[in-house]
Formats: sequence, C-alpha cells, structure tokens
Amino acid sequence: MIRVNNVRAGYGDGPDILQGIDLTASGGEIVTILGPNGCGKSTLLKCIAGFVRPRGGAVEMEGRDVSAVAVHDKVKHHRMGFVPQTDNVFSTLTVADNVLLGARHLPVPERNERYAELMAQYPSLASKQERKASALSGGERQILSLARALISTPKVLLLDEPSAGLSPLMMHEVFAAIAAIRDRTGMCIVMVEQNAFEALSVADRAYVLSLGKVAIEGRAADLLADPAMRHLYLGGEPPPAEPHPRLAAVS
Amino acid sequence: MFEFLIHVSIMACLYGLLSLSLNLQVGFAGLVNFGQVILFGCGTYGAAIAFSHQLGPVAGIALGIVFAVVVAAAFARLGRNLGADYWGIATLAVAEVLRILANNEAWLTGGAQGVSGIPLLFGDKPRPMGPLMTLGLCVALLIAAWWLCQRLTTSRYGLALKLMREEPQLAASLGYDLAVLKTQTLMVAAVLAAASGFVFAHYITFVGPDQLVSSETFLIWAMVIIGGSGNHLGAIVGAILMQFLFAFVPFVKDALGLPSEYVAAMRLTLVGGGLLVFLMWRTQGLIPERIGGKQNG
Ligand SMILES: Nc1ncnc2c1ncn2[C@@H]1O[C@H](COP(=O)(O)OP(=O)(O)OP(=O)(O)O)[C@@H](O)[C@H]1O
Ligand SMILES: [Mg+2]
Repeated sequence: MIRVNNVRAGYGDGPDILQGIDLTASGGEIVTILGPNGCGKSTLLKCIAGFVRPRGGAVEMEGRDVSAVAVHDKVKHHRMGFVPQTDNVFSTLTVADNVLLGARHLPVPERNERYAELMAQYPSLASKQERKASALSGGERQILSLARALISTPKVLLLDEPSAGLSPLMMHEVFAAIAAIRDRTGMCIVMVEQNAFEALSVADRAYVLSLGKVAIEGRAADLLADPAMRHLYLGGEPPPAEPHPRLAAVS
Repeated sequence: MFEFLIHVSIMACLYGLLSLSLNLQVGFAGLVNFGQVILFGCGTYGAAIAFSHQLGPVAGIALGIVFAVVVAAAFARLGRNLGADYWGIATLAVAEVLRILANNEAWLTGGAQGVSGIPLLFGDKPRPMGPLMTLGLCVALLIAAWWLCQRLTTSRYGLALKLMREEPQLAASLGYDLAVLKTQTLMVAAVLAAASGFVFAHYITFVGPDQLVSSETFLIWAMVIIGGSGNHLGAIVGAILMQFLFAFVPFVKDALGLPSEYVAAMRLTLVGGGLLVFLMWRTQGLIPERIGGKQNG
C-alpha cells in the first residue's frame, strides 16, 4: 500500500533530516515509527502525506509514485487520512463540526450513521459535541482528531503520536480502537509513537529511526522481546501487562 | 459644498471596494497582500488603454478584468513557493515593478504623463446630475460587492477559507486544495479592485502611474485594520471613515490657521496614528470579526 524508497528530505535550505529511508506498510497492518525526539519521525510522516517533498527517492501509494502529488489529491485518490502531531483541531469549530468535516465527502445518511457510531465509541466527545474545540483538554483534542480521521474510513491512515497527552487508560482505549479498525477494515495504518511499549503491543511491524536513518526494523513482537532494543530505546522493563487491580476497578 | 460631499462619497465608495477586496484576502484567506494598489491599477489602466485605442468603455472593463485575473494568477503562482511573509514582500515588489513598467512603457500606458481626457461615465448629464449618477453607480457597486463577499464567506467556500486560515496543514489533510482556494480568492478580490479602478478612471478622467504608489496600499490596509479585518461591513466602515476624515483635514487646517503643506502631513499622521491606536488598543477594529460564523454557531 505504502512504499518509501530511499527517501531523503529536509526543510528549506537546511540539511537532510531524512537520509535515505526505506519503509513499507500494507493494508491490514499497523506500522509504528519509533525513535528519540527530533530524529525525523514527523518529517517522515509528512513526507508520506505530501507536506514535505522528498529531495531524493520516492514515495509510492498503491503502486503509484506519489512523491510529487499534493496532499489534497492523495486524500481524494488514495483515501488518505492524516492526523498531525500538533494543531490537530479547528479550535473555533464545535466538536461535532470538527468530526463531521472528516466526512464531508460522504452522503448525509452515511455520515450521520458513522458519526453516531463514533460518538457511542467516545463518550468523552459525545458529552461535549456542541462545545468549541478550543475548550477541550489536550487529550480530548487528541481523541477528537482521531475521530475526525476515522469517520472518513480512509484506506491509509497516518497518525502522528495519537497517544500524546492521553492518560494510560485512555491510551489503552485508543490503541485498542486503532487495532480494532485494522482488523475490521484492513486499513493501512502508519503511526509515529513515543509510548513504545504500548505501540509495539498493537503494531505488526516497527521501524526505529535514529538521526534520519532506520536503525532497527522488524516485527513488533520481536522488537518488544529484544533486550538490546529494550535497553536502548524502550528504557528498561515493560509495565505490567494487566492494569493493577485497583486501576481496573477505576475503569 | 454639496458637490464636494458627493465627491467625497464617491471616493469613499471606491475605497470601500478596495478595502472589501483587501479584507477578503487578508481577513478571510490570510493572504497578506502588500501589492493591493496594483489590482486597482488593472482597472485604471484597463480604462486608459481602451480609451487611448478608441475601444470604448466595455472593452475597458473587459481589459481591466483580464489584467486583474492575470496579476492575481501571478500573485497566486508566487505564493506556491513562498511563505506568507515572503509572499507579502513579493506582492509589494511585483506591484512596484508593474508601476515602473506603466511609468516607462509610454507607447501603451502614456508613460509618466499618463492618459488624460478619459470620458466621464455620465458626462452628457448636466452638472449635479452626472456626479450624482456616478455616486449611485458607486453605491450600487459597493452594495453588490458586499453582497457577493457576504455570500462567498458564509457559504461552504467561506468555511474552507476559514479552515485554511486557521490550520492550513489540517485543512489540506482534509482534502482542501489550498492553492486553488487562494487563487480563486485572489481573482475575486482582484476583479473587485479593478472595478474600483475602472470607475475611478472614468470619474477622475486621468490615469497615471503616480496613482499606484505603494502608500495607497498601506492606506487601504489602514482602512481594513481600523474597520475590523475579517468583517465586510468593518472594511466598508473603515474606508468611509478614513475618507471623510481625510476630506475634512483641509478645514481643520484652515480653522487652525496652518499652512497648506500640513494637509498631507496631517493625513499621514491620521493613517499612522490611527493604525497605531488600533493595533495597540483595539486589534479587532471597529467592527470585530464574528468568531465562528453561520455554519458553526
Ligand atoms: N518546519 C520545520 N522547519 C525546519 N526544520 C524542522 C521543521 N520541522 C522539523 N524540523 C527539524 O527536523 C528535525 C526532525 O524533526 P521531526 O519533527 O521530524 O522530529 P520527530 O522525530 O517527530 O520529533 P518528536 O518526537 O519531538 O516529535 C528536527 O531537528 C527539527 O528541528
Ligand atoms: Mg514528531
């Protein structure tokens, strides 16, 4: 579905932030991109989406070279969805309008049906539908931007740190929702993440970037089990798989 | 006095058109255009070139619109490769280059002397009637332009502009084509400004490059900022207010017994001072933008 071939990219006249990246992602899989701050994860995602034009190499979607295709055309022709890391809501619009914007190409009955489904799924949004998005908390905005991306049922979904600012419970929920979407729709999902343990637990494959290059790639389960990986990039031992009994009681 | 008031009203309406046009760009599409005066110049030179080639006013309008669309397309094209701040400077540069061209290509534009003797629109009417009819036309144009802008910005198109201005990256990722949105807005705005220029040329009966100096652009900016950018009515009120204030500067000068060199200085002070006051204490202008808008409560 997505193939990134030896891509080099940067901003303006600046140096290459991405220095020859290769990556693939197919339908029905979650690929996660990990790595330290500033290593180029968001840049890679923006390159795939089309906000940053590759200086070398190519980005392909569904077998077509889309390196020079504008973002809005990818949205139309490849049903791409993109959730940026920051500035991911229209703060002067209501929650409902924000979500519905994602589905503006769908016929009204379908749109309303999808909207109702999503509201059932995210009660924290449902109770604030008529509020301005500027009045949401950081985590709520995150969920709102995810809901807006999901309402259009894209074929390719690019998520930049969907769990940023979420409480552990909400993070669990969001990742579970993303995994459920993959299983149900066969969507191709590429997500940049900082919460490496959580991301690797739902992802199928992972890439770890370092200084603009792919340092490690492989099956998420293998990376999760790899002690070197744990030491270098995950910062020690994993948290308990099951939430603490007292936490479970809260949820 | 009566004719003087008509004159000031006509000028206020023509500036109102320019201010509406700039406001559509700045207040709605986030296009920081510092070359606005050249869009006006498209209309004045459309009229002038049509007149000097004996083509008649209809050809003048057509020519003005063609010029406006071409310049707008060029502005939009520049915007594809430049950030918003650099784009603003580029528009200023393009406007200056075009003004210098108008100053030097005498075979086409009449050069520094310009083109004079452009016929009045209602020149065959007796004296107070002609200007009154011109005023009627200007008011009608202004209302039509206001209605058009209002329609545009409260429609889906207006929502798209708003989203583009608020979060451009996010808007693009929802499938909005920002380049097309900007081009369309620039073209509509350019045609409004050219309409103002065309009527101006046939009212003043003279077109020259000195009418296109960049201080005119900044005067229009002041009107938009003082009136309230992002609000059509604000843009019109700003233009009318500034124009009437300007018109009464000579009377104030007489009352204070100041020499006539002070008129220009006082006008500049009004623009600069007014701008400062509004930028510091009332950034939203006289009539603030309605946050939210119709579609979204
Ligand atoms: N718009 C930009 N213009 C210039 N340089 C940029 C821009 N955006 C990012 N960079 C630079 O590119 C490098 C990679 O940034 P990027 O946003 O891709 O990092 P990241 O891996 O997503 O980091 P984080 O985990 O903090 O989000 C950084 O050094 C950053 O300073
Ligand atoms: Mg990032």
